[in-house]
Amino acid sequence: MSEYSVIGKPTTNVDGAAKVTGEAVYTFDMTLPNMLYGRLLRSPHPHARIISIDTSEAEKLPGVKAVITGKDTPGGKYGLWRRFRELTDQEVLATTKVRFIGDPVAAVAAISEEISEKALDLINVEYEPLPAVFEPMEAIKDDAPVIHEDFPNNINNTRHIEWGNVDDAFKKADYVREDRFNLLSQHPAPMEVHSSVASYDKGSGRLTVWSSTQSPYFLQLGLADALKMREGNIRVIKPHVGGGFGNKNSTMPDSVNAAVLSMKTGRPVKIVFNREEEFTTTEHRTAMHLAIKIGLKKDGTIMAKEAKIITDGGAYTGLGATTLYLAGTYLTFPYKTPNYRYDGVRTYTNKMWASSVRSFGATPAVYASETQMDRAAHDLGIDPIEIRRKNAMTSGYEAPGQYKLESCGLLQCIDKVEERVKEKWTDLSKDEGVGITAFAYMCGGIFNWIDTPYAFSGAMVKINVDGTVDLFTQAADIGQGTNTVSVMICAEELGIGIEDIRLHPADTATTLTDLGAWASRETMMNGNAVKAAAGEAKKILIEVARIKLGENIVYDLEVKDKRIYLALRPERGFSYYDIVKDAIKRNDGEPIIGIGHYTPHGKGMVSPAFAFGSMGVRVKVDRETGQVEVKDIITAHDCGQIINPLGARGQVEGSIQLGLGWGLCEDLPTDNGMILNPSFVDYKLFRTRDMPQIELYDVPTYDPEGPYGAKESAEGTVAPTSPAVANAIYNAVGVEFDGNVLKPEKVLKALKEKEAQ
Amino acid sequence: MANTNYRCPCCRKISSNHHDLARHFLGQTDKKHKDWLKTQRLSYAQLITWQVTEFGNKGYDTLAEVLEKEAPKVE
Repeated sequence: MSEYSVIGKPTTNVDGAAKVTGEAVYTFDMTLPNMLYGRLLRSPHPHARIISIDTSEAEKLPGVKAVITGKDTPGGKYGLWRRFRELTDQEVLATTKVRFIGDPVAAVAAISEEISEKALDLINVEYEPLPAVFEPMEAIKDDAPVIHEDFPNNINNTRHIEWGNVDDAFKKADYVREDRFNLLSQHPAPMEVHSSVASYDKGSGRLTVWSSTQSPYFLQLGLADALKMREGNIRVIKPHVGGGFGNKNSTMPDSVNAAVLSMKTGRPVKIVFNREEEFTTTEHRTAMHLAIKIGLKKDGTIMAKEAKIITDGGAYTGLGATTLYLAGTYLTFPYKTPNYRYDGVRTYTNKMWASSVRSFGATPAVYASETQMDRAAHDLGIDPIEIRRKNAMTSGYEAPGQYKLESCGLLQCIDKVEERVKEKWTDLSKDEGVGITAFAYMCGGIFNWIDTPYAFSGAMVKINVDGTVDLFTQAADIGQGTNTVSVMICAEELGIGIEDIRLHPADTATTLTDLGAWASRETMMNGNAVKAAAGEAKKILIEVARIKLGENIVYDLEVKDKRIYLALRPERGFSYYDIVKDAIKRNDGEPIIGIGHYTPHGKGMVSPAFAFGSMGVRVKVDRETGQVEVKDIITAHDCGQIINPLGARGQVEGSIQLGLGWGLCEDLPTDNGMILNPSFVDYKLFRTRDMPQIELYDVPTYDPEGPYGAKESAEGTVAPTSPAVANAIYNAVGVEFDGNVLKPEKVLKALKEKEAQ
Repeated sequence: MANTNYRCPCCRKISSNHHDLARHFLGQTDKKHKDWLKTQRLSYAQLITWQVTEFGNKGYDTLAEVLEKEAPKVE
């Protein structure tokens, strides 16, 4: 029987009823009194100098209240990489030149969205088109057009990681192979498009912004930089968010332009992107050229790895520089790699910029390393499960100067997948194949490129006299269930029910800083902060109970099921409610308040902990059409102590859906920098009816860094899905690929080429 | 015996050997570092291209050779 009363129990989301009944309010739904509607005029050129902008006709249109261009903005540049100011490269509106099709050059606020849209047609912009560059290998050449004048050769960022003696290890290896991949982008396509409402109070000089964001704090900082305001004068509130998947980490033109228009008009302004804007002007997964070399002993033991990556960054930085680092990091996971060298470069190109998308960095890296692992196993005559087991990371493993593992249940995951694959898929039909992968994923990032002096996460708990609890946290629930996890952890720590807790989420004016929902950090980082805050409040209750029990009582007290009692004699104790009342009386009437913080310390360069897993996929390939049918998936996942099994399962299924989309059907083709399929008609998502059956097994571990031992379960399973499919296709029909998006035409072409050999 | 360290000719960065200094140098994306390479008849684009497209350390090694001669030494 579980020692826990709340965590580990399947729990429906605390905001689930509001969402399914339509009562939940998203930024998209918001209306404020006297509100105006903003729209953005965007560049039709991938690269051009702005000669002039004439807004006079637009200003005359009845209903238009403000028209702004770059010269009307405060002139601040903004971006996530604030520690390196040269990488904060976005402007509110382009002032001198545009760098991709869709770069905003003017904005309008009017009494209706339709009037704003009409006004855009009346703005006359004269451009001088400039030569543009779209391919990263072209962009770094000396004669390439320069996109940002301070970045010659269009090199936005470089990365080097190295440990051991790589060259020596390759010389000693029995088997060495090199593989090159061209890995394509993906748009996360959240249901709710980018949306913001800004309201500026001219009297106080304070700004309030409601936004569909993954990080209220990042947005607060982005707005402060862009508008040259003190961040304390900016309040960001995150209502319910209809999905983010990584593309709502950055401050984007919706919020900053709504703010400037509100400052100009003195009225609230709302900007909502349409679906075409969402596809063409919001962040998507980073495409890259990736070369990887591996050296192994005859028995399959990894001796060395080397990898080279050049990413197609697009016009601005976003979180792309982090993607470059993480891709280099994930190329070694989840295997012990004694010698490793990685070089990566991120280039500016004249396209919408690439940044973070769920499982960022890991998805292309794991595709390359896991397909290569199968190829090496095949060449060496080793079972693909066995080669993974032989090299699997284990607890205590350390990559010098990078990270050290505490918990690691990878071997148990591999064992479970092997057991079920051998039990279940005994009789494969013609053109069916099974692919195996293994993976790991971080539990939040340790890096502080945002340059915050605050703790990475904070939380506050207030216990009221009736025993109810107000929990204040800035953690960003974007649909992944963080609100529920926060409440469950708070309830467990205080020994009460989730119904006793009122959550006050994601408002920078009332909550302590949290860096937001990215890299699967909220359960680890906010969970620890909430646990610490509840723990502080609990200490006050325990102290009062101890006094009531008598001065000579030194035994441990427990708080559980709304009672506070002696751990060894549960019958001796008090009602939680009575102790709360006593504690408030004894404290001169002050409510009981606990504050908690979390920042990882002494955990290396990457993450405080890593989740692990393994996956088996069964596919059937239609040789006539090239269609790949994913029949079913078996996956085992070590995510530490699971807080909410229902939520964890949902996250794994969602991750697999995104991974299958990236692997099989989702891409963003461009022509001269223009995305050609910016609608749900033309962008083929992997939909519910395409989803296979999924067998999910949890491998329980305990990570001492996580709250109650918890790790991530939000995005790790994206990455292993597509290489498992690719490995299964190879095992089914014998063709292999140097990239993702294995559409029927690509598979068919590969089959025909194989037949022709 | 004191170790010989190398000072970046473009900024104050001190590295314990010329290979580490080469890694620092190619990690800088600013014009100042790139212009210094031109004075040595090296192309930043070429060095980076070698480093991120070819296995091995050709980009760093090429630059490290130059830095060993040209970078100020610090005891």
